[in-house]
Amino acid sequence: MWSYVLKRAGTTAVTLLAASVIIFAFIHVVPGDPIYVLLGDTATPDQIDALRHQFGLDRPIIVQYLTWVGHVLEGDLGRSIFFQAPVLSVIADGAETSALLATMTMIWVTIIGVPIGMIAAVRHGTWLDQGLSGGAMLMASIPTFWVGLYLILIFAAWLGWFPSSGYPSIFEGGGAANLRYLVLPSLALAAPNAALILRLTRASMLDVAREDYVRTARAKGIRPWQVVRRHILRNALLAVVSAFGFTFAALLSEAVVTETVFALPGIGRLVVQSILRRDYPVIQGVILVIVVVYLLVNLIVDLSYRLLDPRVELQ
Amino acid sequence: MRYGLSVVTRGAAGIAIALFLNAQASAATLLREATIGEPPPLDVMLTTADVASVIGRHIFETLYALDSTYTPRPMLAESEREADGGKTIVIKLREGVSFHNGKEMTAKDVVASTKRWGDFGARGKLLMAAATSVEATGKYEVTLKLSAPNGAWKNLIADVNGGLAIYPEDIAANAGNKPIEQKDYIGTGPYKFVEWRPNRYVEVEKFDGYKPVKDKADGFAGARAAVFDKIRFIPVPDVGTRVSGVQAGDYDYAEMISGDLYESLSKDPSVQVQRTNAPIFGLFFMNSKQGILKDNYKLRRAIQTALDKSQALRVAFGPKDLWNAEGSIFPKGTPWYSTEGVSNYSPRDPKKAKELAKEADYSGTPIRLLVSTNYQAHYDEAAVFTRQLADAGINVQMMVVDWATLLKMRGQPEQWDIFVTHHSFSPDPLLLTFLNASYPGWWDSPEIGALRADLIKSTDPAARKSTWDKIQALVYDQVPVMKVGDAYTYDIASPKLKGLNPNGPAFWNVSTK
Repeated sequence: MWSYVLKRAGTTAVTLLAASVIIFAFIHVVPGDPIYVLLGDTATPDQIDALRHQFGLDRPIIVQYLTWVGHVLEGDLGRSIFFQAPVLSVIADGAETSALLATMTMIWVTIIGVPIGMIAAVRHGTWLDQGLSGGAMLMASIPTFWVGLYLILIFAAWLGWFPSSGYPSIFEGGGAANLRYLVLPSLALAAPNAALILRLTRASMLDVAREDYVRTARAKGIRPWQVVRRHILRNALLAVVSAFGFTFAALLSEAVVTETVFALPGIGRLVVQSILRRDYPVIQGVILVIVVVYLLVNLIVDLSYRLLDPRVELQ
Repeated sequence: MRYGLSVVTRGAAGIAIALFLNAQASAATLLREATIGEPPPLDVMLTTADVASVIGRHIFETLYALDSTYTPRPMLAESEREADGGKTIVIKLREGVSFHNGKEMTAKDVVASTKRWGDFGARGKLLMAAATSVEATGKYEVTLKLSAPNGAWKNLIADVNGGLAIYPEDIAANAGNKPIEQKDYIGTGPYKFVEWRPNRYVEVEKFDGYKPVKDKADGFAGARAAVFDKIRFIPVPDVGTRVSGVQAGDYDYAEMISGDLYESLSKDPSVQVQRTNAPIFGLFFMNSKQGILKDNYKLRRAIQTALDKSQALRVAFGPKDLWNAEGSIFPKGTPWYSTEGVSNYSPRDPKKAKELAKEADYSGTPIRLLVSTNYQAHYDEAAVFTRQLADAGINVQMMVVDWATLLKMRGQPEQWDIFVTHHSFSPDPLLLTFLNASYPGWWDSPEIGALRADLIKSTDPAARKSTWDKIQALVYDQVPVMKVGDAYTYDIASPKLKGLNPNGPAFWNVSTK
């Protein structure tokens, strides 16, 4: 197991290095310049050149890259041109929102997607199954921003049950009660993902239900729900857990639209806004962090296979 | 028992009153404004971004400020006198004005700020290019000497947007061309900077040491009083969320609402609509430096003749209350309003346009139109005009990019023939970007060169207006830019707010009803 973890860590380091080159190259290939945005409409070419020099943007790209990588290895992701703050602290501030939003979304996805998927599988072919599967298709088809805007309209503007937008940190006044700010956005974000998990749970359970050992279990007279719980669900969960890993990691970047609609100070909105303003240090830092999260989540998912199914060998 | 009940009743009443008072107090304490996005650094001298000016205006002040008719009135200045035919300007400062760091503002601070603005300020060169010296000639007196008089000097220093905001001497002197750090956001305004939480908010709080001018409040000019203890400027990029936020009571004010919501929001009792009194206007810049339109006034006039501006304004801004197909560069009611040349504003005559294009030897070469999608109105206007020009046989190729790319590309004359932007209301023609020969478009014909020089050096308002009439006529003749029309943006606010500023979002003197 530990040798596997070490091997994966080595692969991760190489992937990160390659990612850093790609991130840096892509960002600098895109036309545009942060200094033009910073100084605005009336800046003269002299003013622009002088400030580009101040920020080191006139140096050769390779020099800029090596300087950045050198600082990253020392744990310094640089300083935001627009926020005038260390990139790490800007990301940390957004990470709280994104992590809590993703976690709350995954809770909705789990408590909605898995049980309903199970019911659909157990009642396979009935009107209930067709209704639930149709509902899942509908949820997966509706754009997240549309769901978000209607949730705001109904539950914030009309009923006043939840705040319409924003998110004050749980470490500020209000504490854990501030989590109510994330209820509507997490529901909007959960809708398509819960539908995906629902359909995946249903399909996996139906596959497993056709296995010989399930037939044997039934032939032995084990109660139907015990067959479902002990034999079908546990084996079907392998595929579902794998999807959970990808879904959780993808939520960090998928949340861009939701974060924009609900004005949440998360990582997704941060990166989009930084791209629009060409705040290079923030873009590079955020994407690097997202890559790291993806790699870590995948590692955890791979390791969890072994726990779920002792037959799986980690190599 | 009765005593017990009385105690309980009084206790409950006390708690209820305390809760009520607390609710009242907290409601009156914090004003939350939903802005269109995150601002750039709040070094207002360097940037012309509106979102920075809206916040910066509460922290920093200028020597003069614009009233509701966009006339400059003294703010940090007390009075002024001109000598040497307008080449020497002596400004007397108000005494007893404090910076947020507790130090008194003196002439030294104004001199250091003026020098930095002249060197690096977004609009500094407009005045300071002709400055020979700026000196403190007393503790509260500054003398500016110019090589030639400048009739617009007061207008040029009367707004924080890329303007001469007054910083403490040490900050202004040491800042150079780099934006000042957050710890140095120290001004003399009614609110002082507290913190900037990236993506969350910028917070300012009431400055107890603020010394207002004695004049009555009028626009951005006159007495300022901080009624709310704190203001939070919260970036909310989605317009639907800004609207729902005010309706739900999560924000007190939201800026830049889209035209399609205007009619429904005007009837909505949960918000009050605040239409700006100063229109912005779309501008299509012609490339005067390079390419097919360089010195080709006939082809430019052909393009101008083909267009129906009302159609573009309707598509871009919606309800008629929000736009006006006005050919005068300055709107009616301002001293600069002019009818010179406006018969060529929106001729919508494709047949005549075809003839003019033929006279210009135009053979269908694609004309590259650079436009950004970040501003929906720019794109809508460009799309309508492209269609109208096609009807006149003029082949326009739209190059659609994001705003950051457009800002860079428009500085490269080989990349485009026309680019689209908009201009905010200006109190003086000298602040119009197209009169600046170094601004992309690079309009610098001998005729405009001479008229521009007249406009700068003349200090007589009537003579300056006469020069401006000639410039506007020249704009319609040489077509360095095409004005699309006046557009009135609007904001919404909680119906509980009163004292909203007609010039735009500024929250001193704003209170709850």
